[in-house]
Amino acid sequence: MDADRIVALVTAAGIELTDRRRNAKGDGWSLSFASGATVEVGDDGSVRASGKGARTVTRLLDLPTAPRSI
Amino acid sequence: MKRTLWLALFSSTLALCAAAAAFAAQPGDPPDGISKIETVVVIFAENRAFDNLYGHFPGAEGIDKASQESLQQRDRDGSVLSELPPVWDGLTAKGVTPPVTQAMTEHLPNAPFTVNDAKGFNVALSVTTHDLWHRYYQNQMQINGGKNDMFVAWADSGAMPMSNWDASKTDMWAVAQKYVLDDHFFMGGFGGSFFNHQWLICACAPYYANADKSPAKPSISVTDDSGTALKIADNSPKSAGDGIPKFVSDGNLTPDFYAVNTMQPPYQPSGNDPAAGGDPLLADPAKPTTLPPQTEPTIGDMLSLKHVSWAWYSGAWQYTLDHGNHTPIPNFQYHHQPFNYYANYAPGTEARREHLRDGGVGGASFIQAIDDGALPQVSFYKPQGNLNEHSGYADIQAGDHHIADVIAHLEKSPQWPHMLVVVTYDENGGIWDHVAPPKADRWGPGTRIPAIIVSPFAKHGYVDHTPYDTTSILRFITERFELPVLRGIVVRDRAVAANGEPPLGDLTGGLDLN
Repeated sequence: MDADRIVALVTAAGIELTDRRRNAKGDGWSLSFASGATVEVGDDGSVRASGKGARTVTRLLDLPTAPRSI
Repeated sequence: MKRTLWLALFSSTLALCAAAAAFAAQPGDPPDGISKIETVVVIFAENRAFDNLYGHFPGAEGIDKASQESLQQRDRDGSVLSELPPVWDGLTAKGVTPPVTQAMTEHLPNAPFTVNDAKGFNVALSVTTHDLWHRYYQNQMQINGGKNDMFVAWADSGAMPMSNWDASKTDMWAVAQKYVLDDHFFMGGFGGSFFNHQWLICACAPYYANADKSPAKPSISVTDDSGTALKIADNSPKSAGDGIPKFVSDGNLTPDFYAVNTMQPPYQPSGNDPAAGGDPLLADPAKPTTLPPQTEPTIGDMLSLKHVSWAWYSGAWQYTLDHGNHTPIPNFQYHHQPFNYYANYAPGTEARREHLRDGGVGGASFIQAIDDGALPQVSFYKPQGNLNEHSGYADIQAGDHHIADVIAHLEKSPQWPHMLVVVTYDENGGIWDHVAPPKADRWGPGTRIPAIIVSPFAKHGYVDHTPYDTTSILRFITERFELPVLRGIVVRDRAVAANGEPPLGDLTGGLDLN
């Protein structure tokens, strides 16, 4: 799953994207949402959600329930 | 002697006339009888354009009165679209059964469509649907100088901006029929909830000083030469039918550092956690989405200055502080709490304790204050997330029932005989409306939204065509309580006049105060 796809799925649920930038390592994207969730998306397709709204984002992206790298 | 007496009498009469003239109503003065309103209540719902809910309201300027040109959407190159693009990823929210999929929305005619049309998608008002971009620059690009013909072109949701609902069976439709519906009420600022909540309390754009040297630097938008539109990226799809547009930088800040899209409050409750080891009452200031505390005067400051009692009641405020947020209920929205961005209402201040009040889960504490006749002179009420009608995470019916229930309590309140209630929406939620907003300043007004005036002084069954915007609420409060005028209102009024537009009203067009 790439960053554009994640943004589309999360924002469709009314959770606004508030920040999008390349991560410090330069190997992926860091996405922030109005709910407080942060999603780290690796260029290799790995996805990790954290922060206050992480559980909802995890459900929207069909990630494993406990936020972790996939 | 006689002549002298007549001269003296004449002079006295002239002086009396002059004095009377000095006290006579002047243009811009508050209307006679405004002091009969002793309690003001503002209910701020979420994300509906006027045509989206009230496009077929009898006597209002609705979709039926729209020109053919304003009904047709254009592609990004200015050509008329042969059909609407599909709703990307489908019209209904994830988990809704049965879903309305993307495939089911293909080949819609280039025209508005009714979501709950029994002969169409037949989606009920109780169903949550796909959210849409509702952002500062996109809103201006969609309005396209008043033609309103680029809502689809600059959306992230395909055909979704052209959706509307038959809301004639809703509870609030009945309230509008009983009292006053404003059919020329526009959102105060372009774009989204964050910005329009700021306009409700401050008529101002929040500012991020030295943003180019801050963690928020990458969030500075890149605009084209007009300064009112985003610069389009080279890899952006050329046609709305090919996909969602891409921009060089679609951030939260203008190039001169005003915050126009969603930033998080600097104080808890905030989407951003406290800094590790930092003050637990604050949001981490190093996060790129934490807005520094704001200092521009607000309507709250003006009310306090004149010793007028007031409060911002927020649904599920205390619940969220005590238990954290939960979805789908209450789904508290951090950026819908505008006073939580201001240093004057920082944690620990007396002003915060006095004015930022818990509305309770489901608005229970606010309703209790209504029933007890304990509302302050001015109340703002923000319903919690699942009751605010926002696309994507809330449906229309739940919020409609809730707000109508609040109205029913207000009508029975001991304070009702001298009350004015304004029910409106913060912004259009990215949804099309056919009426051109008044031309004013760089910040707005944006798209037309519904507003309903409820009061024993409201004209009954009346549609008020007076032009208003969100700052009209501030105009009314300012006039009624004789407050100093916020700078943003002065700027807005001058800009409206400079553009040859009729002045924005103070909400009294729908009242009979005599």
